[in-house]
Amino acid sequence: MKTITLECLRGLEAPARVAIRRQNGRCQAYLQTTSPRPLAQLCRRRPVEELPRLVTLLSPAHHLAAALALDRLGEVTPPEMAQNMREGLRLALTYRRHLRKLYFLLLAWENPWANGDSLGSRRRSHTFPPRLMDDAWRHLSLAQEAVAILGGRFDHPVTAVAGGVSRFLKEEHYARLAVIAGACRDFALSFSDFLASQVFLWGREEGWLAAELPPLPSLTLSTPEEQFVRRDGRGQEQERFTAAALWEKVGRHQEPWTYEDFAYFREQGWQHLEPTSVDHLFAVGPLPRLNSGTPASAPAAVGEVERLCSVLGPLPRRELAAAYWALLVDLLQAAESMVELYTPEKLTGPTLRHIPAGWGREAQAVVESPAGWLFIQVRVDERGLIEDLQLLDPATANNALCCLVAQQVVAAAAAANLGWQDTKKRLELSLLPL
Amino acid sequence: MKQGANKKKVAVYTATGCRTCEHAMVDLHYEVNPLTHWAEVVFWPYLLGSAWEDLNGEGRVDVCFFAGAVQTADDQAAAVRLRDKSQILVAVGACAAFGGLPGLANLSPAGPEPEAAPEPSPEMPPLPPLLPKVLALGSVVPVDYVVPGCPPTPPLLWAAFQAVAGLGTAPARLGYAASRLPGPVAEALAAGLLPPRGSVFAGDKAVCASCSRVKEEKLFRRVLRPYQAYEESGRCLLEQGLICQGVATREGCGGLCTAVGVPCRGCFGKPPAIVDPGAKMVAAISSTIDSSDAEEIACLAEDFVDLAGTFYRYLLPSQCLLMATPMTVGKHEDHNP
Amino acid sequence: MSDFEPKIIAFLCNWCSYVAADAAGVSRFLQKPNVRVIRVNCSGMVDPTYVLQAFALGADGVIIGGCWPGDCHYISGNIKAMRRAPLLKKLLSELGIEPARFRLEWIAASEPGPYARIMNEMVDEIRSLGPRREMRATA
Repeated sequence: MKTITLECLRGLEAPARVAIRRQNGRCQAYLQTTSPRPLAQLCRRRPVEELPRLVTLLSPAHHLAAALALDRLGEVTPPEMAQNMREGLRLALTYRRHLRKLYFLLLAWENPWANGDSLGSRRRSHTFPPRLMDDAWRHLSLAQEAVAILGGRFDHPVTAVAGGVSRFLKEEHYARLAVIAGACRDFALSFSDFLASQVFLWGREEGWLAAELPPLPSLTLSTPEEQFVRRDGRGQEQERFTAAALWEKVGRHQEPWTYEDFAYFREQGWQHLEPTSVDHLFAVGPLPRLNSGTPASAPAAVGEVERLCSVLGPLPRRELAAAYWALLVDLLQAAESMVELYTPEKLTGPTLRHIPAGWGREAQAVVESPAGWLFIQVRVDERGLIEDLQLLDPATANNALCCLVAQQVVAAAAAANLGWQDTKKRLELSLLPL
Repeated sequence: MKQGANKKKVAVYTATGCRTCEHAMVDLHYEVNPLTHWAEVVFWPYLLGSAWEDLNGEGRVDVCFFAGAVQTADDQAAAVRLRDKSQILVAVGACAAFGGLPGLANLSPAGPEPEAAPEPSPEMPPLPPLLPKVLALGSVVPVDYVVPGCPPTPPLLWAAFQAVAGLGTAPARLGYAASRLPGPVAEALAAGLLPPRGSVFAGDKAVCASCSRVKEEKLFRRVLRPYQAYEESGRCLLEQGLICQGVATREGCGGLCTAVGVPCRGCFGKPPAIVDPGAKMVAAISSTIDSSDAEEIACLAEDFVDLAGTFYRYLLPSQCLLMATPMTVGKHEDHNP
Repeated sequence: MSDFEPKIIAFLCNWCSYVAADAAGVSRFLQKPNVRVIRVNCSGMVDPTYVLQAFALGADGVIIGGCWPGDCHYISGNIKAMRRAPLLKKLLSELGIEPARFRLEWIAASEPGPYARIMNEMVDEIRSLGPRREMRATA
């Protein structure tokens, strides 16, 4: 049996590699997360108010989910200003993360640090507008600045605390945030025109963004009521349940070849990980959200969805181009929301936080993070020290989807007799938006 | 700025942690002149998809920026391989420098057994095994320079880049960094020479020196947990009864966290004058307890929770006297972690 | 475990407990040989770092001997030691060192008997606790 290991996949956040085992002409691919980050173990016996800072090891959005869980645990509601500041942070994080992903996509063509076209033999038939990459980077930097203003630091935010936020914004921040929001929105609009016409369409036509993701059911969050909506692989709604019932419906499963857990529906029970049997699994994130028809409120985002449908076809969509396009829709939605939210009226108020009188024993919260919804449940002892932490974040929820995509890509590459370098590039391209 | 043959060959890698340090490095590309003018990145898996094989034909790498703690056998192998290959090895970020948040695993025993995973079968590829303890990079291989922080702040990261991978030109932005760095490092930076091996790119004093809060008199009458009421701006947090690690933490960040109303948690590691940050915090807090009565003191001590997890939040694998793995002795003995 | 001989480090203040130790020796009080004495000028000068360092270097127990409150040669040095002890004990126990392994005791210069008794008790207690256990990371 021969094993090929494709290590250090470009753009992958988690430490992971793809191991391909060849036997008797058959190829089986395993997307292995090669190092664990056992948050539950790291957080045990820590004071629960430290949770928002501890969980940023996994992603900045975890900070907001943890703060919300603390609000519930302390039975307080943050004042409106604090809620707006947290939401403002969430929007800036969304903008930053999605723009970074799209930048990585484009970096494949125009890479200041690498030689050559990373898509192998595909010839570029389009040229980029001058300074596009610079512009993208500049707006990424602006979003970064918004994160620093609202989150306290440019990464691993610290300002969301139990019951609210930790400090008022300064005078100069309001004007700056408004400028940032306007600039980010304007850029998102022009960027979307370029992406839609030059990249996504072309990619789909040329084939390398045409591959279809496996038809997994989806689990999306309906925010005002905090309900999960389960849809099958064709987009038909099957059931709704409250966030509180998540662990009844969803289980965690471990495989010995990866350090990341899998999530699955208990009703069907865990089955093998194969592209043909996926009903016990689910996907989260921008594409499932897009396919669920969750109405985007911002006109630019709505318009982008219409453009997507006119180019690719009616929803639900499963091709890779749609996965990237969903990031763009979210980007526009975030940008427009930032313009609405980054105003002195919304971000000013008399009170920073409502201080909890004490802690309950258990609380849970769910937040829409850029990569998908993020569920957190914490149980504490009588002193407020963490006894148990249960997280279901997009990395775990989408682990099955990513593993199946890896299998699919490797199988297709093997069938087309591609070398391992090209296979690796296809893997990177396919996993980037997930 | 010179180009061409004088470009330094740079490698960047993260073991176990997150991608924030690498993002911080990429952000430098925008913040200042493009790094590509004087750096040739020969190995950067996250950004370029570089494979380990890419290192084979390259000769020596001039500078390797290594982030992430060493938790698995693969992390350890990567550290050894990059140390071998690189002229200069820089530990970037709290995880590589001290062990970081993953290092908390050394303190917590594993919880109840999770749902039993199925037994591995022969056709499944193996996973890299976990090491018995999480380690800082310096415990595995000798490290030449350290850039602490979770993540490192842009001025200090840029100072590090300039010092080891730049070509000796010192743009104006170095002013802030140089003012916070110890004398020998700042001078070397300005002169375009390599700083003394083992230098940490941060200040020599404690965070209190750069913190914007007002320090009056330190008297502990009662302990506050961070969710309880305190002034969000103005007065020193330690004086208000919160545990703030700034007293025992190296400065350099400019007091970022305290400026936004949350107590420092020590991501820059201990300053050179301190041997063990936990001991220092015990001494500092105890010396300000406003009582001479044994019962009262014992009662007050009861209100403190999770001392080890707070004083050594990022530092367990390397700076906690009782739990640290010793640093590997490098070529020069003046390495002071 | 039956041949485990604990090593105990005793920081004794020059003016009271060290004198008591000396007197205990001269008076031939029976003492177990497991204690190594470090003479310091005052119990208040024992920085928590020394205690941690002692444990890090392999001590099985550490004891600080000081003057009774009110009798300190430097007025309030022993009060400083008293302020540190509870937090230090807490930190040690979180790092896997049982509270019984660290003690702060008041021993006057005129108390050689109590000195010997305290040391012997401590040795016995730590012998029954056994060698220090390692805290290890597990998956």
